[in-house]
Amino acid sequence: MQQTPLSVFLRESGSVWGFPLVLFLHTAGLALLVGSSLVVNARMLGVGGELPTAPLESLFPIMWTGFWLNAISGTILLMASDPSKLLNPLFYVKMAFIAVAVWLMTREKKQLFGAQAGPAPRWLAVLSLICWFGAIVTGRLLAYYGKGTRA
Amino acid sequence: MMQFLEQISTWLGASPIGYFAKHYEWVWPTCQILHFVGLVMLVGMVGILDLRMLGVAKGLSARPLNKFVRFGIAGFVLNIVTGVVFYAGDPLQYLHNPAFQWKMAFVALAGLNVLTFYATGMFRRVDALGPGDDAPLGAKIIATMGLLFWFAVMYMGRMLPYLGDAF
Repeated sequence: MQQTPLSVFLRESGSVWGFPLVLFLHTAGLALLVGSSLVVNARMLGVGGELPTAPLESLFPIMWTGFWLNAISGTILLMASDPSKLLNPLFYVKMAFIAVAVWLMTREKKQLFGAQAGPAPRWLAVLSLICWFGAIVTGRLLAYYGKGTRA
Repeated sequence: MMQFLEQISTWLGASPIGYFAKHYEWVWPTCQILHFVGLVMLVGMVGILDLRMLGVAKGLSARPLNKFVRFGIAGFVLNIVTGVVFYAGDPLQYLHNPAFQWKMAFVALAGLNVLTFYATGMFRRVDALGPGDDAPLGAKIIATMGLLFWFAVMYMGRMLPYLGDAF
């Protein structure tokens, strides 16, 4: 994967339309995914309690857009980075946080808008916030610890 | 102007904030983490009002969304504070960095956009929107600009090490 023409271009071209652009897309995806999830979690925890929850369902396609944008840009960044990133335990902790956060997202959707929709338990929102925070922390630390690019 | 900015930068770099940012290894990564948390808070919690103005989640009345916006403002403040720490840690790598100058320009444009929202009274018209109501065209333009400016700020922030040489 490190040797594909795309990986080599991203790593070695030095163009701002290469690696840096993918890095920006990864940040934009973060904002879409976690930003929208934050709004749903905040409402579940009582912010804007007078608002109905049903309209928030339209935030879920935005979250999925952010998720896929980041799954793709993240894979590309990994391909263009130093292979040692894959040996860094932080990477797997980050993936675990994201996996749980995405699972919580689908649980929240079912709870709030599914056939048996009802008041969603708060622990879902609390756990979701913790997982997103964990993903951001490990993601940032991956850029600063371990050799390779500043992804 | 540049000379004045250079003086402020040198002073900030020599200040206790500069010392703090340079001499403890944990400060930089910690502030990076908080800067990204602030980013998510700002874009998510202010973005929901922008989206509502643009007709997404139209079933929401607008006024209660101000309670979300408060968290967005908190995120913005967090990012100013952590941003000042970065700047103080190595002022000259930012001052002459085109990406930094563009980033600040877009922050200023976002600020002007908010100012327009309040100064033109558009804020009051949006505040009165009930479930299903369509926002005025002016509000939709302001909402679009707001989202564009924040993503441009993000883009320029990401370009700091590439268009310039910041880390």
